Amino acid sequence: MKTNKSSAMKKILALLIVLSLVLTACGPKDGGTDAGASTDTGSTTSDSTDNNDSSDGGAGEIEKPEKITIMVDGTLTTKANNREAFEAEWEALTGVDLEIIQPDHDAYTDNLGQVLASGDWPDVMLLNSAYYAGYAEEGVLWDMTQAYENSDLKSRVKNEELIEGLKINGSLYGISPTRGNGCITYIKKAWLDNVGLDVPTNYEEYLAVLDAFTHGDPDGNGVDGDTYAVSSAGLIGEEVPFINYLPEFYQDAFPSFYLTESGEWADGFVEDNFIGALERLRDAYQAGYIDKEALTNGTSDCRNKFYEDKFGIFTYWAGTWGTNLKTNLEANGLDGELIAMEPIEEVGSYLERQAPTWAITSKAENPEAIFEYFIETMLDGGLGQRLFTYGAEGVYWTTEGGEVLGETYEDGEFHMLESLEKPGTLYTKNHIDPMLALTSFTEFADPGIEKVPEATLVSAATFAENSRLVELVPSSDVMSQYNGDLVKLKREIVANVVLGTRTIEEEMQRFEDEGGLEWSQMIVESLNAK
Amino acid sequence: MSSKVEASKIDEAKIGKKPLSKRIYEHRWYYLLFSPVLLFALTFYYAPIYGLRYAFYDYKGIKEPIFVGLANFEKMFSMQGFWNAFTNTLEISIFKLFLTTFMSIIMSLLLNEIINLRYKKVAQTIVYLPHFMSWVVTASVFALIMSPSQQGLVNAVLTNLGIIEQGQEIYFLGSSKWWRPVYYFINIWKETGWGTIIFMATLAGISPDLYEAASIDGATRLQKIMYITIPALMNTIVIVLILNLAKIMNLFESVFVMQNDAVMKQADVLQTYIYTQTFNSGALPNYGYTTAVGMVKSIVGGLLVIVCNYASKKIRGRGIV
Repeated sequence: MKTNKSSAMKKILALLIVLSLVLTACGPKDGGTDAGASTDTGSTTSDSTDNNDSSDGGAGEIEKPEKITIMVDGTLTTKANNREAFEAEWEALTGVDLEIIQPDHDAYTDNLGQVLASGDWPDVMLLNSAYYAGYAEEGVLWDMTQAYENSDLKSRVKNEELIEGLKINGSLYGISPTRGNGCITYIKKAWLDNVGLDVPTNYEEYLAVLDAFTHGDPDGNGVDGDTYAVSSAGLIGEEVPFINYLPEFYQDAFPSFYLTESGEWADGFVEDNFIGALERLRDAYQAGYIDKEALTNGTSDCRNKFYEDKFGIFTYWAGTWGTNLKTNLEANGLDGELIAMEPIEEVGSYLERQAPTWAITSKAENPEAIFEYFIETMLDGGLGQRLFTYGAEGVYWTTEGGEVLGETYEDGEFHMLESLEKPGTLYTKNHIDPMLALTSFTEFADPGIEKVPEATLVSAATFAENSRLVELVPSSDVMSQYNGDLVKLKREIVANVVLGTRTIEEEMQRFEDEGGLEWSQMIVESLNAK
Repeated sequence: MSSKVEASKIDEAKIGKKPLSKRIYEHRWYYLLFSPVLLFALTFYYAPIYGLRYAFYDYKGIKEPIFVGLANFEKMFSMQGFWNAFTNTLEISIFKLFLTTFMSIIMSLLLNEIINLRYKKVAQTIVYLPHFMSWVVTASVFALIMSPSQQGLVNAVLTNLGIIEQGQEIYFLGSSKWWRPVYYFINIWKETGWGTIIFMATLAGISPDLYEAASIDGATRLQKIMYITIPALMNTIVIVLILNLAKIMNLFESVFVMQNDAVMKQADVLQTYIYTQTFNSGALPNYGYTTAVGMVKSIVGGLLVIVCNYASKKIRGRGIV
C-alpha cells in the first residue's frame, strides 16, 4: 500500500515538473524586459495601407497609424528614468500607441542585428552611420526622399547640408534629429599663462606649447617635467572620424575611405600625407608630449588624468563637455578655465561625425504616416521636440517652483529635475541635444536655452564655425569581406610606428606584404563602382 | 552467490526478449522525467548547430543567404590575420593551462603544509578571492599597477631598485615583448587559487597513515611530499589537464580586455578575431565568414576532446566522454 502511494506521488511529481517546464517554455515573452519585449512589431493602421513605395510619399491623405514600434538605444529615456511617462506624453500628443524596444545600450547593435535577422522588424529604428548605409543598401530601409521633400519638416531644417550628407545615391533613408557633433581641442588657460604662451594657431606654435607643457612647470607646482601635454584614448578612434582625438598630429591625413574633390573614393591611409602624420605622432610620442599610455587609455582614463592636472591639452567633445570638463576641474580645486581652441592652420577644420539616424523599415505599413507622426513630431519645433529634447514634464523638468539639489527655483521657471537613475545629479537632456538640434523651436522659445552654461555655448559655437561633416561611406560586399582585417592592420601599423617598435618603411612594406594594399584597392574600386 | 548471478542472467535474458516499446512503457516515468532535459538540450544545444550551414553562404542577416561553397574557408585560410589568431589561441591557451596548473599544484602543496588550521583557511580564502573579480576590473587594476610612469607600482619599484632609469619606464601592456608574460602573470594571480580546490580535495583524501608510516621510517618533510603527496596527486593532475585541454579554444574575455593595437600580433585570438570581423569592419558583417571561423574553432576543439579522451583512456583506463 505504501509502495503504491509512493509510486503515485512520483508520477504526480513527474507530471508536475514536465507541465511546469512546458508552461514556462510556452509562456508569454513580455516579462518586463526592455529588449525585444514584444515581437509584434508591425504598425497597424485603422485602415491599413500597404505601401512601401516612396514615390507616393507625402501625397494624398495620410492614414493615422494605431501603433508605431520603435527600436532605440539608451539615448532615449530609459525605463530607469520613467520611460512610461515619456510614452504617455507622446501618446497624448499624437493619439498613437507607441511601443519602444530598448535593448541594453552597449548591446544595441548586436540586438538590432538579431531583430532584423528574425524578420520581425520594428517600424522605426535608430542606426549609427556604418549600419545606416549598410542596411539601406540591403533594402531594409524605406526611401523617405519624397516624404521629406513634401513635408513641413524640410522648411524647419536649419542646415540642409546635414540632410544631403545622409543621402545614398541621391536617396534619403533616415533623418538625424541632431548634428553629429565632434571633438574640439581644449587648453587649460592657467597652464598657458604659467608657461607664458598664447593659444597656438599653427603646428609650430602648437609644438612650442607641447614642449613647454611637457618640460616646463605649467601646473605651477615647482617641479619641471612632471606633466605632459596631450592624452588620448587610443591613437586612432574606434569609429568615424577616427582621428578626432589627435587632430593636430593627423592634420589633413585621414586613415580611412573618403571622397576626394573629384568625387572619387580614396583610402587616405595609402596617401603620402599619412606618412607625415605618422612622423608627427611618432616624434611627439617619443618626445614625451603624448601620454605614454595613450594606447591603453579609455576615455574615462583621459578625463580623470585631465581632472588630476596631469596634462593640459585635451581634444574632446564640443558643447556640453566644455562645461563638464570645467566643472570637474573646479571640483578638484583647480582652475577650470578652458579655451576651446580654433583649429590650428594645418588642421583647417575639425571633423563632425554623422549622427545616429532614425530610419523607417521597408516592412513598415503606412510609412508616410510613420514619417509624419514619429519623425516630424520629434522635430516639430513645439511640444514634440520639447519632449524629445528635455523629456517628460514632471519627470525630467518642471516649471513649478521649489528646491532641486540645493538650487531654489521660482514658479514658472523652467528647470531640470534630479535624475532618477543617478540621484544627486540633474537631468541635462533627453534624446536631442538642444545645442545640436536639426530644427529650432518655432512654437515657443527653447525653454532650456537660458540654462545652457557659457562654456557649453562657446565650445559648441567654436566647433560649429570650424568643422566640416565627414561624408557617409557607403557599404559594399568587398568592404564587408575585407575591412575588418584592413582596419586591424592599419591600427597595428600606427601603433607600432608611434611606439617606435618598427620604422615607417618596415610597416608600410608589411602593409603591402600582408595584403593591406590589395584590400584597400579592392574596397576603393567597389566604392567607385557604385 | 552463484544463485544471485544466475538470477541476474535470467533477468537480463527476460529484458532482452521484451520489445522496446514495452521496455519504454515500463520505464515511462523515467523517460517523462528525462524529457525536459532532452528537450532543452535539443533546443538550445543541438538545434543551433543548424546555423553552421551559414559557413557555406554569404549572409548579412537580412537578405536570403547566397551559397558560396567553400569560398569563406578559402578566404579564411588565405588570411594572415586568421592564422595569427589561430596560432596565438593555441600558444596562449596551452602555455596558460600548463602554467596555471603547475602553479596551482605548487600552491596546493604549500597550503597543505600549513599546520595551523585557522591560518590555512584564511590563506585559502585569500588566494581564492581574485577568481571572483571580473576580467574588466582585473585589467583596469593591472593597467594601473603596470602603468609606464612613476605612478605605476612596478615601474616605480624597478626605478627605485635602479633596474631602470626614470623616464625609461616600461610600457608592459603596450609592449609586444612584455604583453604575454604580463598576461600569464595576471592569469596566475587570478586563477591559481581557484585551481587549488580540486588538488586540495585530493590532498585531504590522502591517508594520514602514509605520512605517519613515513615519519616512523625517518622521512623528511620534503621526502613525504616527493614520495607520498605528489604521487597521490598525479591522477588528479592528469584529469585537470585533460579536462581543461578540451576547452582551450574558448579564449576571449581575458585577452579582449587586455589587448591593444600594439600587441595584436601577440594577443589576437580566434574569438577576438571573430569579434573584430563582426563589429569593427565598418560595414555590415558577413556572418558566413565569421561562422566559418567559428566552425574551424569548433572542429579543432572537438578534435582536442577526442585526443583528450584517448589520452584519458590510455592513462586512466577510462574516457572522459
